[in-house]
Amino acid sequence: MLNTGKAVKVSIYLSEGSTRHGVPTYSSILDFLFYRGVSGATVLKGVAGFGADRHMHTSSTVDISDHLPIKIEFVESRERVEELLGKLEDLAGTGMIELHETTVAKPAQRSSAKTLPLPAHQKIEGKARIMRIYIGESDRWRDKPLHQALVEAMRANDVAGVTVYRGILGYGAHRRMHRDKPFHLSRDYSIMLSAIDTEAKLREFLPIVEQMVQEGLVVLSDVEIIKYAHRPIETGEAFSSGDATP
Amino acid sequence: MKEEFRARMLQIHFGERDKWKGKPLHEAIVAKCRDLEILGVIVYRGIEGYGTSTRIRHSSHWKLSQDAPIMLSVIDRQEQIAKLVPYLDEMVNEGLIATSDVDAIRFFRPEDARPRA
Repeated sequence: MLNTGKAVKVSIYLSEGSTRHGVPTYSSILDFLFYRGVSGATVLKGVAGFGADRHMHTSSTVDISDHLPIKIEFVESRERVEELLGKLEDLAGTGMIELHETTVAKPAQRSSAKTLPLPAHQKIEGKARIMRIYIGESDRWRDKPLHQALVEAMRANDVAGVTVYRGILGYGAHRRMHRDKPFHLSRDYSIMLSAIDTEAKLREFLPIVEQMVQEGLVVLSDVEIIKYAHRPIETGEAFSSGDATP
Repeated sequence: MKEEFRARMLQIHFGERDKWKGKPLHEAIVAKCRDLEILGVIVYRGIEGYGTSTRIRHSSHWKLSQDAPIMLSVIDRQEQIAKLVPYLDEMVNEGLIATSDVDAIRFFRPEDARPRA
């Protein structure tokens, strides 16, 4: 929780066109900050600028410019910032991160507070767990579909991978029948999210599931990882060869 | 509110065209699960696959007759699953049933709280 007094303002400078796992880098960072319970963050879009590559980017060029400067700002306590910094450096790729000592005169009001431990990124081999979450397609979390919010929360918390399945028929905890009917306007299929990671990582993510899922079923069981291969992290324009992960 | 318990999961594989007393088999199994007050059931339609009958099943937009692979997943406590198994023996003529032990956590609204055996 952000209090009145000493704090740190973090500014992250990015290029608009940079992407990570196929989504804009700024949106990955914003999701990360959001699901880690940072008090607030703002994304600002510049109209012109230049960076380490000494290339002037403006919005006036004839071709559609997707390299305009983007700046993300947030204010947090020093401890929180230090906790988040490692992952932020990874997410920002070639972008610059600036820390600025600041003083909070009046903190913004927050409805709920939660702090989460920083999960360590690790490669999983052999014994692991599969977490299946059963919900309805029309279930929502804040202003978005619950299954989408869960996927975003998992990505922000480094859960190794998740797949969303839509059932054609089924019912769940609330015994409401979910049925696939053509010409039926209200779409409320059964949804199953399946995520595989280590026992520790999934246990760590459970409180977030608990906070987001009002009604549903979560099932955990043992699995064995036979192959876990992933592409190297995309950092947009700076993509050096030779770092392919086997 | 939440409730944690040890449960069993059945995964039943068969084809979309399989029938039970003139009704699609997956619908008949879901109806039976509801009769038995089984905790949760979900039916998935695969896009390609083959099963015990080794027919290649796939759903095609160009063919009217669909025989996509169906996977039906049932979750409940061991005692509840045991009640369902005799019916499945009778209903599923051609198919595969896989079973596994799982740790379940059920989230529910306080107004839906009802004692479960």
